[in-house]
Amino acid sequence: MLYFAIIMPVFLIYPYMIWMIIIVGILSQISIFMLSKWFNSMYASKGYEGFVELFGERMVRLIAFIGIGFIFLKVIVIILGYIEVVQHFIFPSVNTNWMLLFILLICWYVASLGMPNTIRFIVIAFLCTAWMLLLLLKIPFKPFTTIHDLFPLIPYEWTMKSWKGVLFIWSAFSGPEYLVLLAPWFNKREKILKYMTIGNTFTIFEYLFLFIASLFFFGSHYLGKNKLPVMEMIRYLQSPMFERIDIILISVYLFHFVFAISIFLLLFYGATRITLKKSKDQTTRLGFALCCAIFFICIMMSNELLWKKATNQNILLELEIWAGAFTYLFVPLLLFISLKRKGHS
Amino acid sequence: MFRKRKCIGVGKQMETSTGKAQNTSITLEVLRERVDNMEDAEVIEYQTQNNKIFVLIFIGTLIDKARLNEAVIEPLRLCNYENIAACISVSKITNISTLEEAEKKLMLGAILLFDTIENQWCSVDLKDPTGRGIETSETETILYGAKDSFSENLEQNISLIRRRLPLTALKSEKFTVGSLTKTKIVLMYIEGLTNPDFISIAREKIKSVDFDQILDSSQLAAFMEDHNHSVFPQFQHTDRPDVCAYALGVGKPTILVDNTPFALNAPINFFHLFQSPEDYINRWIVASFLRIRRYVSFMLSLLMIPLYVALTTHHYQMIPLQILFVLVETRSQLPLTPFWESLIMLVTLEVIKEASLRMPTKSGQTLGVIGGIVVGQAAVEAGFASQVLIVLVGISAIASFLVPNYLMTKATTLIQFVLLILASFLGVMGIFMGIILLFAHLNALTSLKQPYFTPISPFYGKDWLDLFIRGPLQWMKARPEALHPLQKWRYSRRR
Repeated sequence: MLYFAIIMPVFLIYPYMIWMIIIVGILSQISIFMLSKWFNSMYASKGYEGFVELFGERMVRLIAFIGIGFIFLKVIVIILGYIEVVQHFIFPSVNTNWMLLFILLICWYVASLGMPNTIRFIVIAFLCTAWMLLLLLKIPFKPFTTIHDLFPLIPYEWTMKSWKGVLFIWSAFSGPEYLVLLAPWFNKREKILKYMTIGNTFTIFEYLFLFIASLFFFGSHYLGKNKLPVMEMIRYLQSPMFERIDIILISVYLFHFVFAISIFLLLFYGATRITLKKSKDQTTRLGFALCCAIFFICIMMSNELLWKKATNQNILLELEIWAGAFTYLFVPLLLFISLKRKGHS
Repeated sequence: MFRKRKCIGVGKQMETSTGKAQNTSITLEVLRERVDNMEDAEVIEYQTQNNKIFVLIFIGTLIDKARLNEAVIEPLRLCNYENIAACISVSKITNISTLEEAEKKLMLGAILLFDTIENQWCSVDLKDPTGRGIETSETETILYGAKDSFSENLEQNISLIRRRLPLTALKSEKFTVGSLTKTKIVLMYIEGLTNPDFISIAREKIKSVDFDQILDSSQLAAFMEDHNHSVFPQFQHTDRPDVCAYALGVGKPTILVDNTPFALNAPINFFHLFQSPEDYINRWIVASFLRIRRYVSFMLSLLMIPLYVALTTHHYQMIPLQILFVLVETRSQLPLTPFWESLIMLVTLEVIKEASLRMPTKSGQTLGVIGGIVVGQAAVEAGFASQVLIVLVGISAIASFLVPNYLMTKATTLIQFVLLILASFLGVMGIFMGIILLFAHLNALTSLKQPYFTPISPFYGKDWLDLFIRGPLQWMKARPEALHPLQKWRYSRRR
């Protein structure tokens, strides 16, 4: 997950968590395998109708209603997390609600262009941001790095904090479960397992790289004291043209956030329509704008009441760690079991 | 009570009135009435050697008068045949039966011939061919390569393409649009190569044009475009026959409009606007370098000034110390904020650019002096603009001219202003927000219902060989995948 990639090293801290990233990544592959079974089934192409055939209309409406909460929580955390980064590194005195409004307006525009266009936007987002990772490549080869920063690779003790780290990693791998909602727009579902496996492998390497780079840069003792270690690390990058290129990199990272939030806005609109029994009616721009407005008000309230007041422990972040882990575990499992049961019957 | 009266346009009214003519038979009196008060219309009676009388009706300004004498009047005067039409063998003769047909032919440069004995009307096509000859393209100039360009003559334009593609599969369909102008439109495509969907979409779009005047290909494009409210052109306007031939060869239809020297090619993508015919003439490495340079120039023209505003307004910490010293020194005496300073300079630049287009060529030097010395140097000395900004505005202006497509250059200017405003509010973040909006917009655009941001989104990896670089022609074995041509491979011999 986008925001989790930035804060991940704070939750892992100890070098032996490298193994946990690999193990959880392999476990994530099981979820992906279960999801691919869904994509290859006849229900996937039918979209809403497919879910109704599998679970029944009442159940689908109930799931959609619960899903709204999960979508809300996810968007709140990623958008407020990003705004926090912007506030910390670019505009220290900015009113975060204004920033929230600007970002949501962009997402509203992107999402209003339709689901196919929004899905296709990921190619642009990827190409515009993939090069950023290359900038960090030289950090492990800096003169101050020592191999001792990666020790101990075997844990001396296993505490609750370590378990929380595992939970965090699992939650950070979450996200593919929402792809089941986009299935009708995918035209090559036969090869989806291959594509998702590539994506999962890429994520494992990305998390490993960011964590190892952070360990080299800060060392495990100092890593826990940073709130946003990856961003702090980027801050030290130099270029002959500009100082503080972190400002550019954080701004470029917005591409991914806009893509993700736009997709979630459309999913939220869809889930609301299903919950209100309006799924058969024509979608309207006004209805979508109304959903975006509700989204903005709710996120603004969460920002004012919960996010800004959080000091040591951010309740929204804690909830999202659990919620992400929950959905990534149970959504593929539920679909897999339902498919098996339907197959037998 | 307030029932809306159904309005009919002028053209429609005329069509309705001529609708009566559709089934009315032609009489000399009616035609005389129709050409009444037309100073250039002539009605002449002649007698043949065997005492037959024939009547000629024509519009003197539309026909070739020299040919009238030699191809019609002389043969008719000496005619011995019973059938007058049999005497005229040099020109194309068509029998006509309705008044509407007669009027149409008359107004398109034919002469109407009435055989009084047989009571038969026929038309002889004698359209005046005078017009601009084949000249060098002024909008898409290249150093090497073909120099000819389209003119206002539709037939000549078709022949320029046919000379390059001597194929029977090169089809041309004719349409007439514009209730007043009756503009002839020709849709050209290579049968068996161009995707039939493109042809049918283009055909439908041309047929659906309902307007009184279509005087230019741009007007036709405005009616055919999928997104009217976008600043980006969705058709490639070109006056070069070689560009059209290439477009046809890769599987695109081409649309020619009568009395317009610009053809329309579609579907295009955003990146076509950065391609020049010279790309395929230069060595591939050089061509790739030139193409990358164009993209870089586009980005420079778009981002340089907004970045200046962003850095000087919000992010002084991003500027390296040595440059910061220079910047602080030049800006210290300025009364305006970076945004207003840049806005004024950009608006001034746009005024100069527009003036240079409208002014006679001989006054160009004066404009250069005024623009360069008076506005540039004086603005700095008067303390309205910093020297750094003048340099950046200059680079930005020159960079904008590297984009080969003029319509794109104009769009760039507008986008630059939007980015400038965003940069003044949100700095670098604002610029990237603008870029995201720009990319999202491009991603949603279509040209002839095909994605405008392809081959990036949707992704067609093989088409990247002719995207940011121009790969070696030997490697470009397949036609662009995004165009879904019926014949994928470009080579004809089995390999």
